[in-house]
Parts: sequence; structure tokens; C-alpha cells
Amino acid sequence: MLSQLSKEKWTYDTAAHLAARAGFGESPSRLEQWTHQGMEATVQELLHPANDTTPPPSCVVPNQFAELRERVQEATSPEGQVQARQALRQATNQQLYGLINWWTQRMLTTPAPLIEKMTLFWHGHFATSGFKVRSSYKLWQQNETFRQHALGNFATLTKAISRDPGMMVYLDLATSHAEHPNENFARELMELFTLGEGNYSEADIKESARAFTGYRIDRFEQFRFVKNQFDGGNKTFLQQSGNWNGDKIIDIILKQPVAAKFISSKLWKFFAYEDPDSQLIEKLAELFRQNYEIRPLLETIFSSEEFYSQHARNAIVKCPVQYVVESGRTLGVNIPSGRTLFAVYQRLGQVPFYPPNVKGWDGGKSWINTATLTFRYQLARQLVLGIRLVNEPQPAKPRLAAPSAEPSPLAQASPSAQTSPTTQTASSTALNVVRLPALPVDQLVTAEDRKDPEAVVRKICARAFQTTPDPQLFDRILAVAKLKPLPLADDAIRDLVALMMMTPNYQVC
Amino acid sequence: MSQEPDLLTRRHFLRTSILGAALSWTVPIFVERTFSLLNAEAAETATQIATGKDHPILVVLQLAGGNDGLNALVPFADDLYYRDRPTINIPRDKVLSLDGYVGFNPRMAPLKNLFDQGKLAVIQGVGYPNPNRSHFRSTEIWQTASDADKYVKTGWIGRYFDNCCAGEDPTVGVTIGSQLPQTFTAEKNTGIAMTPGGRLGFGKEADASEQQVFNELNGITQDHDLTSGASIGSINGPSEPTLSAVEYLQRTALDAQVGTDKIEAILKRTKPEAVYPKTPLGNELSLIARLISGGLPTRVYYASQGGYDTHNAQENSHNNLLGQLADALSAFSSDLTSKGIWDRVLVMTFSEFGRRVAENASKGTDHGTAAPMFICGGTVKPGLYGNHPSLSKLDQGDLIHTVDFRAVYTTVLNRWMKAPASKILGHDFAALSFV
Repeated sequence: MLSQLSKEKWTYDTAAHLAARAGFGESPSRLEQWTHQGMEATVQELLHPANDTTPPPSCVVPNQFAELRERVQEATSPEGQVQARQALRQATNQQLYGLINWWTQRMLTTPAPLIEKMTLFWHGHFATSGFKVRSSYKLWQQNETFRQHALGNFATLTKAISRDPGMMVYLDLATSHAEHPNENFARELMELFTLGEGNYSEADIKESARAFTGYRIDRFEQFRFVKNQFDGGNKTFLQQSGNWNGDKIIDIILKQPVAAKFISSKLWKFFAYEDPDSQLIEKLAELFRQNYEIRPLLETIFSSEEFYSQHARNAIVKCPVQYVVESGRTLGVNIPSGRTLFAVYQRLGQVPFYPPNVKGWDGGKSWINTATLTFRYQLARQLVLGIRLVNEPQPAKPRLAAPSAEPSPLAQASPSAQTSPTTQTASSTALNVVRLPALPVDQLVTAEDRKDPEAVVRKICARAFQTTPDPQLFDRILAVAKLKPLPLADDAIRDLVALMMMTPNYQVC
Repeated sequence: MSQEPDLLTRRHFLRTSILGAALSWTVPIFVERTFSLLNAEAAETATQIATGKDHPILVVLQLAGGNDGLNALVPFADDLYYRDRPTINIPRDKVLSLDGYVGFNPRMAPLKNLFDQGKLAVIQGVGYPNPNRSHFRSTEIWQTASDADKYVKTGWIGRYFDNCCAGEDPTVGVTIGSQLPQTFTAEKNTGIAMTPGGRLGFGKEADASEQQVFNELNGITQDHDLTSGASIGSINGPSEPTLSAVEYLQRTALDAQVGTDKIEAILKRTKPEAVYPKTPLGNELSLIARLISGGLPTRVYYASQGGYDTHNAQENSHNNLLGQLADALSAFSSDLTSKGIWDRVLVMTFSEFGRRVAENASKGTDHGTAAPMFICGGTVKPGLYGNHPSLSKLDQGDLIHTVDFRAVYTTVLNRWMKAPASKILGHDFAALSFV
């Protein structure tokens, strides 16, 4: 077992480190409370949170747009068909934007941050994209499945995902049958979801693909097993023979020692740091292998000395979702919605419900390149100062293996419904300008604070950086604050917040 | 003397570059040392200093998802093709014949024109031994140019940058979009990713002290105007894994400021001289044409077109993709011809694999192996290269490759880029003659 962090090492900074990693950051008062109540109570609070009462999104109706689909089928002229297709595409896109917005809002306000963080983890792990799935109902169902099993049992979750209509469309399970088993799901199940490349053979893929036949989706977008499409014959899979079905295949996979290692390692890298040594992973895997329960594994990680070590601090680049959600949750900036939010996520390099391919997001340093960093900084200023948010109609295009040729929602729906409908000219140079309210400063500082630049910088630093900032960084920002007239006006304070967000330090946690 | 050009030296170099003398902490001796270091490195590695005016340019175009080569370059004279693809075949009378055995998908008519004009080469049956059918692994193999059973961290173009472009500015490699391909992964200089309209700074309204603190906090300590137009703008830091997250962010901020300002300046004074299709690929190629004509010192551009993973009802979607590809390349060729620079450019397509010979039950095709590559440019030696793989002699239902993709890379590196291919690829492959 990993050695536990001793009681005297639990401080405000360790609490803040945990808040950023196991969630999306917390307010200073919450962090004081966590510091006071100690690590054990805090970890238990994260693992057994209060109920999140966010209602389901309004877009979740099964078999939506059936009429629009019929219109595409029944169109008599090519132009009619193009129009019907476009109407269907736009309606579907609007629903998907709604879903992205719904989840973002949920992460912003949730009393159960670890559940949402793990939902995000499972979404990246069992990646499924709206580019191909084109149904906000299926994607919401899948999102709920991740949430339901977020801290539960990995075997149960994997089986649930094999029957998940979104996944079944994404990896073509829904059209696989006994005569021609489709190998797409069987391959990724082992390569990406459980074992990792090199731990199975091409023959294992072919045999297990036969076991996942007969999986269908009914007209209410629910899973249905169709026995006469199922291949009930004998299969030899990972050296074991029998007339296996899909669930049994998953059981056999999870008996492979490498499976527990694969998942434990991915979780450690997601929460702690990228280069754990093999002994550490073996210890985690030993625990996980017993029953594939996720909660005890996370408890071990979040209680370990290693998790709070210097090597782990500030070692992780915030993913775009965390960048956006944490900015809203801790600093209180207003987060855009609708197509603007989609465009923001797209330019940051991570759109929820639109992973680039079945491998999910690469994460780590790959979040940051010259284009995404430039946009993060531009966005920071715009979020804080509430000046215009400009959407450039950038083509959305996964770099790899886009599973369908569906054009990007941005490529066709030019300026969104939020601006004048007369600008719907699909011109590639048209800009979509949306005004957001500026950061409300009164939530961050009191009137008294405004007379003292140091008090202001201290208060907003505590929110922006969560843990105590590097003294040099603090001093430089204070130097800028001291040049501004007192008492500090709203826009002066907003400038300081933007300056903090436009640093390398703000991009990491 | 054997000091490594690390992050520190690179930043110091930028600080102390000629006009940097205006900044108070300039140390003149350091300028000299940095230049000698640069020169020493250049001498060792045969650095090719790009001026933006006469060096050869490569455009790598990824067809992501696994292009169905058999429905792009159709072996229409072979009955086995029609037997194995009863519902998704390209009818014989629609194929645009190239040599009486193979021909283009009809949606590729603009590429047939380029072929007829002598501006297009087609390499048939390209693949590698022990093919891998995973998108990710096979893409990685193509991007790193490794053997199927070896793992290499750097990309083949990244190694070209390391070997031949040491000390050049980060725009030596430009990818359009917000993700850097593994092809560009390098020890020293990975190139940059760009989206139009991006500039890294604290903002136009910022006062001088804010801008200065912003630069300091981001590890940017040069005045960004200093490097514009200079072809030896920077010495790049060590390989990425050794940088902490914050150091990596500082380095990226520096690259962004050096690179994007230059690009924005070019975009202000250039425009397309052909009508491009309004597709993502059309937009990318149009942008690349402007950057080339504007004299950006870039050796390698990277563009990509996604959507080729056609497991399901592929007929329309695959034909559309090929149509978009052909239309965009055709516009690119006219644009660069009008600009008078088509002779300096070579476009090379690749895809991680082709697809199974037999169609599947969903009227699509599953992951396969060998597929054709298309090479076009003003001075390409046109024609068909390599042999088309046999449709009767298959390996578990898949084509057996006839040309190793690294032979194509060798040709591009040796003959086009004038770079030491065997050093970059780690193996000797016989070059083809399309250049």
C-alpha cells in the first residue's frame, strides 16, 4: 500500500491541490474549512458527496426529429433533400450545444465535483463523439451512465458501456451481426478500454467480435438484444474456449493482470503526474484487481503522500474543460453558452461530447501549443473584461480518424441565432460577436480591500492560483496593482485578474 | 564550449539579438557566444538556412481515418474487385482510366487533369511489413516512420527539423489548426500550430507596465518586433519531456509570439489567386498558399482531411471526400501556378492504412493495409509508380504492400528536401524517381 500523508502535512495548500485535482477548484472559505476538517474527512466528503439536484437537460427526448428524418427520406428533389438534411443538421447541432452547455453548468455548480471529474475521465476513456452519433439523447444517456458508475465498479461500467447506444453507434456495434461481425468495438475494447496495445492478438479481436453480435438499438434509442443476430458458437478468446457472450468476454479480459495496471496507471496520470514509477502502479493495480472497485482506489490515491509530493504540484496542465469551469467556479467569470461555448471549447482543443477520436484526448502537454495558448490568453481577457467574444467560423475537424464526414456545426451554421438572423450568410469571413457581462468584482473584494492593493492581489491570487503563489509572481502582479489609482476601480481589478489568467502558472494545477 | 543550446540560451539569444541592445540588461559578449554556438551547430548538421524565397517546400496532407485506396485508385480491369465489392464498387465505365488497369474515382476528375498535365505522381500499394490495423498505432508508425514493432518518440519531419534546421525560427514547420501532429515531434524544434487571427500579448489597450509584466510572467523577454524577418530567430529548447509544465508553457508562449506575428503580417498582404472550394481542406490549402507566397521561411506545412474511416454506408461519404480532396488540390495548384511558385512545392498525401478488399455487411469497409499515395507539384515526374497489389494473393483478406512508405519518404527527403534521408529514417531505402 502507498504510504499515507501524515496529519501534520495537511495544510491549506494540500487542500487546494486536492480541490483542483479531484474537482475544479474551490472558494477560499471552502478551502479553509477543508484545511480545518483534515484530509480524511475531506476525501470522504469527495467520495460520498451530497446529491446533485441538477435537472436533466431539456434536449433529452428519445427519437427526436423523427419528422425531419422522414423529410430527408421522402424528399423528391435533390434540392429538397439538401434542405431537409440541413434542417436536420441544424436542429441536431442546437440540441448538442444545449447538452454541452448543460454539462458545463453542472460542473460549475455541482456539490459533487469528484463525480463530475470522474465523469469527464470516463468520457475521455470510453470516448464517443457527437460527430458520428448525432443524438443528444444517446450522448446524455451515456453521460448519465458514466456519472452513475463514476466511483462504482469498473467491470459493471465496462459492461454498461458495451450496451450503451451512443457507443454502439460510434463503434458500429449496432450493425454487427453473426455473418459479418464488425471488429471496431472488439478492437478498441482491448486496445483502449482495458488492456492496451500488444496484450492480445488479431485472432482475439476476431473471436470477441463474434461475441458482441446481436446488440441492437430500438426506436426509443434503448439497447435491445436480438438473439437471432447473435453468434452463439464456440469462440477461443485469450486461450479460453466456450460459447462466450459479450459480458463473459469482458470478464475474461479483466482477469488479465495487465487490465488493472492499465486503468490504475491512467487514473494516476490523470490525477497526480505523468511519470509514475512501475512499483507505485503495481501497488495500485494490486488493490484494484481485487474487485475493480473505483472508490477505494481513488481513496488510496488522494490519501497518499505521493499525491501531495512536490513532484505532483503544478505538474498537470489544466484541460480546457477545467480551464473554463474553474474560471467560472473560483473567479466567477461568466461562461458563454450555445454555439459560442462550442466554439470556445473547439479553439481551446477540447469539446465535451466531441472527442477527436475513440482514443479520447491525449491530454498533458498536448493541450498547449502556440495556437491553443494564444487563444487561452485571448479568452481570459474576454471573459474577465466582458468585451466581445468573437467566433471565427473555424472548421471543426478532428486531426485523426474522424468517424464520419459530417461537416462541423460551425462550418455551416454561420453567425448563431444569438445575433441577428440577417447575418446568416455562411460567409467564411463573417464574425459572430456576442457580448458577455464583465466579471462581477464585488464578489471578490470588499470596498475596504480596494484601498489596499496588497489585499486585493492577495484575495484574487487565492482564487486564481488556489495554492499559495510563487512570491516573485505575487510581487510582479502587486507592482502592477500599485501603479493603479486608489481605491481600485472594477476595471483595474479585472485587469489584474486577466493578468493572472494569462500566465503559465494559471494553466497548471 | 560544448554548452547545450537549452531553453536558457535560447531566451538569452532572443534577449540579446541585435536590436535587443535597447534592453538594459544586454550582455554583448553573450551575443557573440550565441552566434558562435549557432554557427558551430550549423556546421555540424549542415543546417539549411531558409530565406523564404527559394528553398523547396513540402506540404504533408493527412487523409485521416484510413482511405479506401481501392475506391480511389480503382483496379477496374480486375474482376476480383467487382466480385469482392458487389455493392460499393465504382462501375467500370465511370472509372477515369490511367493505364488500362487502374483509374481514378470519377469524383477525382480534377486530379486526372493534373495527372494528364504531368503534375501528379501516384505511388501504388504503399504500406509496411507486419501492418497494424489500429488507427492510432498505424498513424504513429506513419508519423514516426518506425518499424511496426518499434516505438519512436519523434516524428520523421521533426527529425528533419532537428538535423537540418537547427537554430531556425519556430515557423520552420507550420500546421494549420490547433493540434501539432506527431510527424512534427522533435527534440528541438517542433514547429508551430496556427489558427488565423491569433496573437499572443496582453492586449492592445494594455499599458507598458502591464505588457512588460505579462512578458516577464510568460518568460518572454524580447521585444517581439526584433525577430520579425530574421531567419535565425531562435535556438530551441531541449526535448519536451525534460521541461516542467510551466517551462513548457513559457517556451510555447515565446514561439507563439515569434511565429504568429510574422504570419499575421503575411496574411495582411497576400490573397488567394484561385477559387477554392468552401471546405475545411480548401481553406487550409488556401492559407498555406498565402504563407508560401508571403515568404514565410517554412519548409514543411501540414494539413489534414478527416472522415475516411468508412465502416458504414461509405459510397456517398467516401466519394465526397475524394471530391473535396481533388477540388482543393486542383485549386491549390492553380493558385500557386498563378503566384509563380508551384515549381517550389511538393504535396504528399498519406493515410494510416487502406481498407479490406471485401466490403463488410454495413456497405462499408474495415481497416486494411496498403493504399496509394498521391504526390503533386510543379516539377514532379508524373506517372504511376510501384506495382498495384494483387487482388488474388492476399494476406488474411488484405492487400500485400509493394512499396514501403519509407521509400517514398526517402525520395522526398533526399531528392526534394536535399536532406540526409538515411540519417533521419535510420534505414536505407531505395529512392523512387518521382522527383
